[in-house]
Order: sequence, then C-alpha cells, then structure tokens
Amino acid sequence: MPNLGELALAVALLLAIYSILANLYGARNNRADVLQSARHALWAMTVMVALAAISLWMGLLTSDFSLAYVAEHSSRSLSDFYKFTALWGGQEGSMLFWTLLLSIFTSIAAYQNRTRNPEIAPYALAVLGAVAVFFLGMLNFVTPPFLLLAHRPPDGADLNPLLQNYWMAIHPPSLYTGYVSTTVPFAFGAAALITGKLDDTWIRTTRRWAIFSWFFLTLGNLFGARWAYEVLGWGGYWAWDPVENAAFMPWLVMTAYLHSVMIQERKDMLKVWNLALIGLAFALTLFGTFITRSGVISSVHSFTQSGLGPYFLSFVIGVVVMYTALLIYRVPDLRSPAEFESYLSREAAFLFNNLILVGIAFAVFWGTIFPILSEAVRGVKITVGPPFFNKVNGPLALALVFLMGVGPLIAWRRMTVKNLLRVFAAPAVLGVATGVALFALAGLRQWYVLTAGSLVGFVAGTILAEFRRGVVARRHIVNETVPRAVANLISKNNRRYGGYIIHIGVLIAFVGIIGSSFFKTQVKRTVKQGQSFAVGPYQIKYLGLTTADTPHMASATARIEVLENGREIALMDPARVFYKAPQQPATQVAIRSTPLNDLYVVLAGIDDGGLVTFQVFLTPLVLWLWAGGLVMALGTVVAMWPNVRERAAIAQALKAQRGEDEELAADIARGTD
Amino acid sequence: MNLRPAAILRGYALILLAVAATFGLHASSGGAATRPTVESVAQGLTCQCGCGLTVANCNHPNCEFAVPARAQIAKMISRGMTRVQIIAFFRKKYGDKILSAPPAQGFNLLAWTMPFIALAAGGALIMLLLERWRRATPSLPSGSEAVAERLPVTDPKLREKLEKEIREQF
Repeated sequence: MPNLGELALAVALLLAIYSILANLYGARNNRADVLQSARHALWAMTVMVALAAISLWMGLLTSDFSLAYVAEHSSRSLSDFYKFTALWGGQEGSMLFWTLLLSIFTSIAAYQNRTRNPEIAPYALAVLGAVAVFFLGMLNFVTPPFLLLAHRPPDGADLNPLLQNYWMAIHPPSLYTGYVSTTVPFAFGAAALITGKLDDTWIRTTRRWAIFSWFFLTLGNLFGARWAYEVLGWGGYWAWDPVENAAFMPWLVMTAYLHSVMIQERKDMLKVWNLALIGLAFALTLFGTFITRSGVISSVHSFTQSGLGPYFLSFVIGVVVMYTALLIYRVPDLRSPAEFESYLSREAAFLFNNLILVGIAFAVFWGTIFPILSEAVRGVKITVGPPFFNKVNGPLALALVFLMGVGPLIAWRRMTVKNLLRVFAAPAVLGVATGVALFALAGLRQWYVLTAGSLVGFVAGTILAEFRRGVVARRHIVNETVPRAVANLISKNNRRYGGYIIHIGVLIAFVGIIGSSFFKTQVKRTVKQGQSFAVGPYQIKYLGLTTADTPHMASATARIEVLENGREIALMDPARVFYKAPQQPATQVAIRSTPLNDLYVVLAGIDDGGLVTFQVFLTPLVLWLWAGGLVMALGTVVAMWPNVRERAAIAQALKAQRGEDEELAADIARGTD
Repeated sequence: MNLRPAAILRGYALILLAVAATFGLHASSGGAATRPTVESVAQGLTCQCGCGLTVANCNHPNCEFAVPARAQIAKMISRGMTRVQIIAFFRKKYGDKILSAPPAQGFNLLAWTMPFIALAAGGALIMLLLERWRRATPSLPSGSEAVAERLPVTDPKLREKLEKEIREQF
C-alpha cells in the first residue's frame, strides 16, 4: 500500500503539470479536444490523490508502523475514529489532506465549467493546476507522507493528546475546506487578469464558491475556538495565537470581498479592489499555512520543524508578486466610469466597511509578524499577545458593528438627511435605550460594554426595521399572515435576507464575546472530600475521586455536585488524564452551559493526602457565541440556496445570449441584482 | 436639506479623530489603581515554556514556568505590590519578551501606531477617491428624491407597474 500511495502522488504531479500545459495550449489554439483532455487529467489527478489518501488512511487504520507517519501520529490503542482523523494530525498527512481537498475542488470547478466560460475557464483551471503542482511537489519531494522506517517499532508514539478531541476531528477539515476553496475564486480572478476578460463574469461564476469558502472559514474558526475552549483548559476560546490569527485574517478579507463584490455587481465599480481582495485572501491562506508549518513563530499549533518553510514563503511571495504585476498591468483596462454622489450612500458605507475589515486584518497581520520584525531590526525578542490585539481591535470592532447597522438601510446613490433621520430614528432610539438600560438597570459602567450594548441595540433595530418593511410591503400586496410573509420574504430574496440573518448571528456572537471577555470570574480552591465552596451564585461540593486505567490512558475523575440555593442543579466530572504512549498528562474540563453563563471546572491538582484542587471559571454568555455562529451558518445556507427565480432568470439570460431575444437579455441584465 | 460634502468630510475626520483618541485613552488605561488579581497580572506576562500563551492561560498542568510564576505573583500581590510593579519586576528579570504586549515606547511604538496609521491612510485614500468620483458624477437636482417620495402615483398603469415591482422586490 505505501508504495501505491507514493506512486499515486508521483503520477498526480505529472497529471497536474500536463493539465496546465493542455489548458494553455487548448485555450490558445481553440482546441476543444485538448481542453477536454486537460479536464480529464485533472480528474485523474484527483483519483490519484484520493488513492494516496486512502492508502495513508489504510496505514493508519491497520497500524502499519513501518510507515514513519503512522508510527509518529498514532498508536495501537488509539480509537479508530482518531486513527482516521490522524490523517490531518501531522505535517505530511495534513499536506496530503489539503491537496486532496484542492484536487476535489479543482475537479468540481472543471466540471462546472466544461461548457461555461470558455474564455477564462481554461486559464482558471491552469492556475488551479499550478497550485496543485506546488502542493504535489511538496508531497513528492519535501514532506513525503509514505517514508518507511528501517525498523518497524512495536507501537506508535500516539496522536498528540490535544488532538484527541471531537472538535479537533471537524475543526481542521472545516478550516482547510474554507482555506482551499478560496483558490477557486482566486483562480478565476487571476484568469480574468490573464485573459483581459475583466467584466464581472469571474465574480458571478465563483460567487457561490466565495460564500462556500466563507461558510467554512466561519465554521473553522468557531470550531477551533470551541476546541480551544474544551481542551486547553484556561476557560477561554481565543488567545490571538499566531495560528488563530492566520485563520482569522482570510475570514476578514473574504468578508470584505463578499460585501464589495455587491458594489461591482450593482454599479460596475471597484473592479481593481475586488481583484486585489481575492488575491489577498488567497495569499493569506497560504501565509497561514506557512506560519503553522515553518516554525518561525512559536504557537500552540506548531507542527514539528520541517523544511517546508522556505518553499512556502517563496510560493507566497511568488504568488503575490505575479498577481500584483498582472493587476497593475491591467489597471488601465479596469477603469470604469465610477458613479458616486454622496457620502450618505450605501456605496460609501460599504467602502468604509471594507476599510475597517481590511484594517482589522492588517492589525492582526502586523501584530503577528511584529516579533519577527523586532528580532530582525533590533535583535530583541518580544511578544505581541492578547492585550495588543484586544486594545487595537476593540475600537475597530465597534466601528464595524456600527456600519453593519448603517449599510443595509442606507440608500444607494444618495440619501437625504431627512430620509436618514426617518429610517434610523427608531433603531437609534432602541440603541440608546439599550445603553441606558445596561447602565441604569444592569449597573454596568465600562464604557466599552455600554457602547457595544448600544450598538447591538441599534443594529438589531435596523435589521428588525428591514424585516418589518418587507413584511408590511408583502402584506399590502398579498394578504398573508405575518410568519408566512416572513418566510416568503426570505425565500424570495434569499441572498438579501440570508445576509440579514448572518448579521443577526454576528450580533448574537458579539454579545457572547463581550459578555465572556468582560465578566469572566475565576476561583481556585483546594478541598477535601465532602467540602464545598462558592462560585458566584453556585455552591460546589466535591464528592469523591474515581480512577480508571486502560491500555491507552490512565485517568482520575472528580465528581462534584453543583448547588444553587441549596438545590442540586448538576453533577460534573472534571478529570485528569495521562496518555501512556507519549507519557503526557492532560486535563479534561467539565462544562455546564446555560444561556446565562458557563460553569467551567478544571481539575487542577490531586494531592496524595486526598486533597484536590479545582479551578473554576464562571463565564457569562459563552453559549451566545456558539449560538451566533449557528445562526451565521444558517444565514449562509439561506444565502447560498439556489433561488428558483434567479435560476429562471439565468436560464432566460442564457437563451437570450444565444441571440434569441436581445431585448430580453438587456432587461434581465437590468433586473437581476 | 443636503449637507455640503466639505462638512461631511470634516465630520468623517472628526469621527476618525474620536476613534483614535478613544483608542489612546483605552490603551493608556492599563495600570488600574485597584488591587490587582493574579489573573490580571498574569495576563500581562507571556509563559516561557513555549506554549505561546500568557502566564494566566498556559495549559500545561505542571508548567515549570507558569505555575511558580502565578504563585510568585500571588505572593507579591499580598505584599501590596501593584500590577505595574510586579510586571516591571518580571521584565527586569526576563527582558521584554516576558511582556504579553510590547511597551508603547521606542521601536515598539510602531507596533501600536501602525494599524491606525494604515487605517487613517486608507480612509484618506477612500475619501480622495470618492471626492474625485463625486465630482465626475452628474448629480440629480437637489431635493428630487424627497419630491419623488411625496408624489402620489395617480396613473393606474404606473401604479400597477410599481406594485408589480414591489411584489418582486419583497
């Protein structure tokens, strides 16, 4: 099997190289047969990469320790589930997994465009092929996953205990899916630049890919946060670790991109900017991978040191330089008659939204690389950690939330001040009322929390107003109940209202972030069996310790009883675990979540004399972050859902395009937004 | 009523300034006068065990750095030392790398100011661009939007068309 995997990767590399040449030759010489052969090569490449992945999976599942990767990242006693996920638990395997996703997405793009976009698709596929060549080159020559050991060890070193967690099984695949799928819109953007076909075909063709990518970047970040929350045991979910930052930056830039393409689709403006954004998003996904794998920045996520760093850096720089050169070369052709009337317009609001999003991305980038800069310039090692990122991004987040309320309600082109007051009066009142209530009723005094609370009220007000407007309009025309009107509103304009649902999710998550960042409390106590102590409104009673021993790990689990007003409300079981193969201790936290707060218990120490130490965090509103993420995901699905009306319009447009009805084509071009 | 663009420009500049000032205030409010907690001090220090987290957040149960450091911080707090004093103590002992964020002085000032400089530059660029576009765009006669809103739609044909559009929009 290992030989098969190795062979498959070599063949895949050759196929990828062939596909580039065939795509370029076929496009230049108008040879449909050659282009078809290029597509077939890409599909065959995907089969080869899949074969390689399957053979590594087989190695893991059958504990074939003659393979270095299997010996280093699994063990006999590891459950099959984690043996399966160990594929992305180490350097070589995760490179293979990345390449597998890239191949699958490339194949899908090739299939989708077998007849569509004949002018740019071959070039886009050539770009995708080139990215595949890079990754396959790494797999063949730098991080080969099928290295054999001279002496087969009796057992493996086991998967890193931190990775033996449910969320770790789905966090990397989600994030990788998000990362890798940005390659498709990037490739089409690059193809537009190469061919000079600079209208918004590339954006329309890859709109769903971009949302798809954003969806998985969102989930990937959230799952990562959830994993950190459950596994790292410090009561938080985000530490501004370089690798967290690396996952956050593409998300920010893709968010900016999804907003600014709306301006291009609607007003044919910002062509250069959109091309720049998608290039940046793609470069940042590579940069993130570079950070994870190069070891230049220390992080909880660092893979073992390897020779990948310089190659990745060269690739990132190469991509950025070539893409920028192309973009500059095409700038004269990208100029469009820009229409702009007033700062009080959606155009302006969107531009400032983009400024803030990219500004946050820059701040994160700057903070992440500043330690390297400091060491290079002054030779002094410094750390840029959470206090920096919180302070710098805190105010920017407020500005962003504010614009989230303004953008959707402000008119295109221009809005009179009178209209502005009419539309925003009610939401503004709601915002101020929220702030006052937080101050007077809840007794909060932190300026940041009060501002954030007011802004959340304001933005919630604008979204409610938008739904109300739609419902009233519908009920005016067709007589239907309010819930029915809401449902129809969403299904008929899924892109727009899906967007609003995402905004609601962002608000909910923001409330969770504020609550959990500002009002977390913690208590550390050492107690004897039967003793209890207070945490906030709760009494925590230590009932006793049980131990367990399996070939895989030894564990000690404390049973505690949580009481509120003298009544038992929960039993919790925080534990300490010792993983035998890597000889590593770890904690297993116990979490009790309610919409109001999370009780988070860590078994921090066990004394020989029967004393145990608990570290307990009481963190308000953490659940809101996950709930908000869920709502965001739901909204994204709504926005991505194929719209019957839209599809009919596209079908008609295609018909019209074939010369059957030019007037209709013009109508449709005007009518769809 | 229409605000003059120059006035709006000034408005934006004011907002930008306000944000920058708020940031300054926010950033400088690090050393609170209230009695520090181990958590608040430990958040200001980076663990040296290689985990990359702060001393407060290091997740190694028996960390050779974070665990004694937390104990020491607790002792220093009980002796009445302030957050600033305790952090200064650790900085003297381990150097700048122990701080979880660089001090806002010298070369490190660049870390703190660059994001805001970039943001201001980006904002200025956008405004410049918008100003150019605005001048190139023929404006609708002033107040036409407001007039259109007040006009009753009397023509039945037009009314029908409008209703159809609303139906499709919502």
